[in-house]
Amino acid sequence: MSSEPIERRVSYLGDRLRGSRCQICGKEYFEIRDYCGDCGRKSFEKMSKIDLFYDLGKFEVCTLVSEPTNKFTKLGNYFYGIVSFHDGKIRVPGRLTDKIVKCDENIDLSTLEGRNVVPRFRRRYSVDKNDVIPTISLAFTLADEYYPYQEYKIAKPSKEYDAPGIVGYAVYTSRFRIREESIERSVPFIDEDSITAAVEAGKLALIHSGVENSEVGKVYVGTESNPYAVKPIAAKVAQVLKLGEEDEDVQGVDAIDTEFACKAATSMFKDATSLVSYPKSNVKYAMVIGVDNSQAAPRNCPGGELDFFVGYGGAAYIFGKYDVIAEVEGWYSCTSDTPDFWRRDGEPHPMHGGRFTGDPAYFKHVRKAAKKLMEQHNLQVQDIDYFVAHQPNPQFPTRIAKELGFKDEQYLPSLQVVKFGNTYSGASLVGLAAVLDVAKPDERILVASYGSGAGSDAYLLVTTSQLADKRQRQKMSAKFQAESPFKEFVDYTTYRRLKQGM
Amino acid sequence: MQIRPAIIAAGRTKFGEHYEKEPEKLIEEAWLRASQEANIERKNLDACYLSDYFLPITNKLGLEEGFLSELTELHVPMEVTRSFGSALSNACNAIQAGKYNMVLVGGIEKMTDRWDKIRDDLMLLEDPWSYYAGGTPEANHELMFRAYIKKHGITGENLEKLNVALAQIAVKNHLHATKNEYAQYQRRITVEQVLNARKEARKPLGLYDFAPVSDGASSIVLTNEKTAEKFSDKPVYVCGNSSATDYLSFSARADMTHFIVTQMAMKVALKTAGIDIKDIHLVELYDQSTFMEMVSLEDLGFCESGKAWESVYESCQNYKGHYDIAERKLFTNTNGGLKADGNPLGATGGAQIFEIFKQLRGEAGERQVSDEKELKYGCTLELEGFGTKGYVYILGRN
Repeated sequence: MSSEPIERRVSYLGDRLRGSRCQICGKEYFEIRDYCGDCGRKSFEKMSKIDLFYDLGKFEVCTLVSEPTNKFTKLGNYFYGIVSFHDGKIRVPGRLTDKIVKCDENIDLSTLEGRNVVPRFRRRYSVDKNDVIPTISLAFTLADEYYPYQEYKIAKPSKEYDAPGIVGYAVYTSRFRIREESIERSVPFIDEDSITAAVEAGKLALIHSGVENSEVGKVYVGTESNPYAVKPIAAKVAQVLKLGEEDEDVQGVDAIDTEFACKAATSMFKDATSLVSYPKSNVKYAMVIGVDNSQAAPRNCPGGELDFFVGYGGAAYIFGKYDVIAEVEGWYSCTSDTPDFWRRDGEPHPMHGGRFTGDPAYFKHVRKAAKKLMEQHNLQVQDIDYFVAHQPNPQFPTRIAKELGFKDEQYLPSLQVVKFGNTYSGASLVGLAAVLDVAKPDERILVASYGSGAGSDAYLLVTTSQLADKRQRQKMSAKFQAESPFKEFVDYTTYRRLKQGM
Repeated sequence: MQIRPAIIAAGRTKFGEHYEKEPEKLIEEAWLRASQEANIERKNLDACYLSDYFLPITNKLGLEEGFLSELTELHVPMEVTRSFGSALSNACNAIQAGKYNMVLVGGIEKMTDRWDKIRDDLMLLEDPWSYYAGGTPEANHELMFRAYIKKHGITGENLEKLNVALAQIAVKNHLHATKNEYAQYQRRITVEQVLNARKEARKPLGLYDFAPVSDGASSIVLTNEKTAEKFSDKPVYVCGNSSATDYLSFSARADMTHFIVTQMAMKVALKTAGIDIKDIHLVELYDQSTFMEMVSLEDLGFCESGKAWESVYESCQNYKGHYDIAERKLFTNTNGGLKADGNPLGATGGAQIFEIFKQLRGEAGERQVSDEKELKYGCTLELEGFGTKGYVYILGRN
């Protein structure tokens, strides 16, 4: 058993890399201090809080760890060293993550030393199955590789819109991929899971939106692969991203996890939209995250068919009424009790209704939601510029798009499943993000998600001129991640091992 | 100094794997050897200072004082600290203050009883963040080594020489241990072995660069100058000693290429002993790694900063049993150092004192350094953690 009070303190400091700075002499500390060691008593009340979460560090010196301590053995070989921030004012220990060190690889430490690194939010080490999952941001990746350094610049809103909508978004998928036939799928590194993906996606969405973290009043995390049966991922997101006003060590934000197979997040788009519109809610911005690290049974076992398509990652969206990039025009949802996919409590892998998953499940619900919404708004297929459907595989979204009468150019930009695999609760969100990455102002997008069990949420969005303005703020676009020269391909055995996690 | 502490006896066990022995057997053995030598009885002891790092963890033995009392039937004041250097420091203070006449200082560690977890335990000696970030007991040595290379701009041929010099330190220490019947590894190794182990591990330092995990115990009997004369015709005096403390977090220290605790402790120890560093020809260094031995030569002031490897390299080309530093002989780790003698943490410092004690008295047998008669002073350096605490002792015959 881990010790929970220690866990709380370590993750409070370590997840965000919190520290202090003496306002008298400028000395910095990687810890919360009430006074400066050099300045002594006169520095009481003169210590400001800092954190390194969005900062660029430098990997000063490093070594290879091939015989780690017991809780780190699943990481295999890794680089460990000292990272400096703020021109060496503050130095912390750190390990390089997202790197598989091969047994025959020639090691030259000087090729890593002196390079810039970015803090990443990851699992800290392995623990027993019934323990609290420890996390930390003393895990770093090279800033000139898959995950570039991006400044988090808060932008003062310039315009209030009549209709609420999306003000920022981001996709997060891992650096690793498995390629089988024509499909590439994201594979989490061994220290990643749906918790870490949710934080990463939320972090990148904040960067894209320029929204001040303290002004986010609600966060929803939709997932079906929370490593906990009971314990919200949203609380971790709220704490690490410092959403809402921070008072002592508590965040003034409402945070909740939602679950409805793959539509857990899209379902909340309308809740977020409504919340930011209601004048008495006091919520200026709401964040919706959809991520998954769904597990699949081995291929020769029941449920093993899911192993061909399962990916990793997701996306985050921030809703509000200021500096909107895509206004929400309307929505329609439908639900039925259809048992096409499920996972019983305590079971590691979900089960799948085989052929049943197609017509009576996916197609029936997506068709209904999309059609109803278009009818309600008197829209024809040609009035819509882009169509985004839930994408558990390449075939389903293609078939439904064609059936509804959409042309290639309307639905192909959204088809991301061939690049990242099925990201479950993140799938339609990633598809929408890819469309927003390329859409022009004043274009209409129809999104129809699907969640097994079963239901669909359809949304109509209309882009604004601010879409193009904000685009340059996000280096980590879906395209950037899909086409990165730094993505690394792993074989099937490695993919299964990484997917199992620490 | 009004009252000078004097060592009248020293005893130790063999270091290594003592699977068959309970921890108390080891300390008993060390104590018996020391007490027999000086013909001391338990009743002569006014107090005991014991050191161990991990007995509560490795052997579920907390309140070690109680178990020592049970073992000895002694009910005198007893205190436990982590390192031998720390225990001895407390003992010296008490003797100097005139509070006690004669005390036992003992050190013990039983690491192999917890073979599968001992490297995790060793992380207790570092800042927790380095553990959380994936650090290992070896990592800081390698990081400091990397920082040292960078700071001093050592490249190319010089870097190769430095790498060989560090290997030679391990080779030299193993050579010394062949003459030490208490040593854990009484066999020679070669420079190639050291270099190959690094190559195999693909790391700056390899298996042969690091001290082992060991079991063992050591003890000395400390008294004042006056009492010493009654029990021994050649007591060894603690002429000067000091310690210093630094951050637990290696990464947060201002200088990542040196141990300031060593520098500070040595400065004060020399001052209290009233001698010059040139008077010291015998030194026991805390070589948890070969790099640590090398950098300690600089921190203690024997070599200039960034230059120790050159002296080591030149001395080991045709090794004559000592380093040649500025045309002076420096006998270093004559017992084989932590590398070959062994490193049962709480007892290690005792083995260092034991060695200087024996050498200064001309009782080191086969490994007695040739010019024993010229040996006036010997010095020990013990570190707690990765340079978090440093203890320096200067011992002398006069």
